[in-house]
Amino acid sequence: MTKVLVIALFVLAFAAFAVLGWLARSEDSKIPSFGDVAAIVMQYEVGRIPVGRIAVLGFWWWVGWHFFAR
Amino acid sequence: MDQHHPAEAPAVRAWDRPIIVMPTFALVAAVGGLFGSFTLEANLLVLAAGGTLFWLGLTGRVARRPAPSRLAPGFAWWFAPLALFAAVELFTFAMKDPVNWPTLSLLADPVLENYLARAACYFGWLTAFWGLVRR
Repeated sequence: MTKVLVIALFVLAFAAFAVLGWLARSEDSKIPSFGDVAAIVMQYEVGRIPVGRIAVLGFWWWVGWHFFAR
Repeated sequence: MDQHHPAEAPAVRAWDRPIIVMPTFALVAAVGGLFGSFTLEANLLVLAAGGTLFWLGLTGRVARRPAPSRLAPGFAWWFAPLALFAAVELFTFAMKDPVNWPTLSLLADPVLENYLARAACYFGWLTAFWGLVRR
């Protein structure tokens, strides 16, 4: 039973993500695209070190390793 | 002095086009789908493909889309699904009970044992990675 609950919550999270992505597509939307949000995060730098880019790209690299290799 | 940030570099390389990149990703995904978890081949492919994209993303060798100067006020809505996902993932991980409280990766494992699903997810991972590299 708890497993079904966990699956339902993951599905809800992914569905909400998809709905927001769809809502962000209209021209007069007050919701930015996820790409724009990621771009702002990736612009963050400490000195000349692109901390935001390293963090986001590194996280996504780790996701691939976690699901396909580990 | 007019200095160009890598994010504003206008040069587009010959291979930096969907017609080149997407078939390449499809090929990598088709091969990646063959390798099961915990194998040397799977580790090497993720290391090579992810490492290449990570390097491209940091060196600015790929044309990037300009970032917005500011976000629309509704950006906080994105925190809702992210927070829900993080909460469920952290809670299930903390429960240490993979049968009753499985994490997403445990739920995904049986799905990813299927070649087509694994190759499709591999393609999705590479495509999303490419989208991030170009931002």
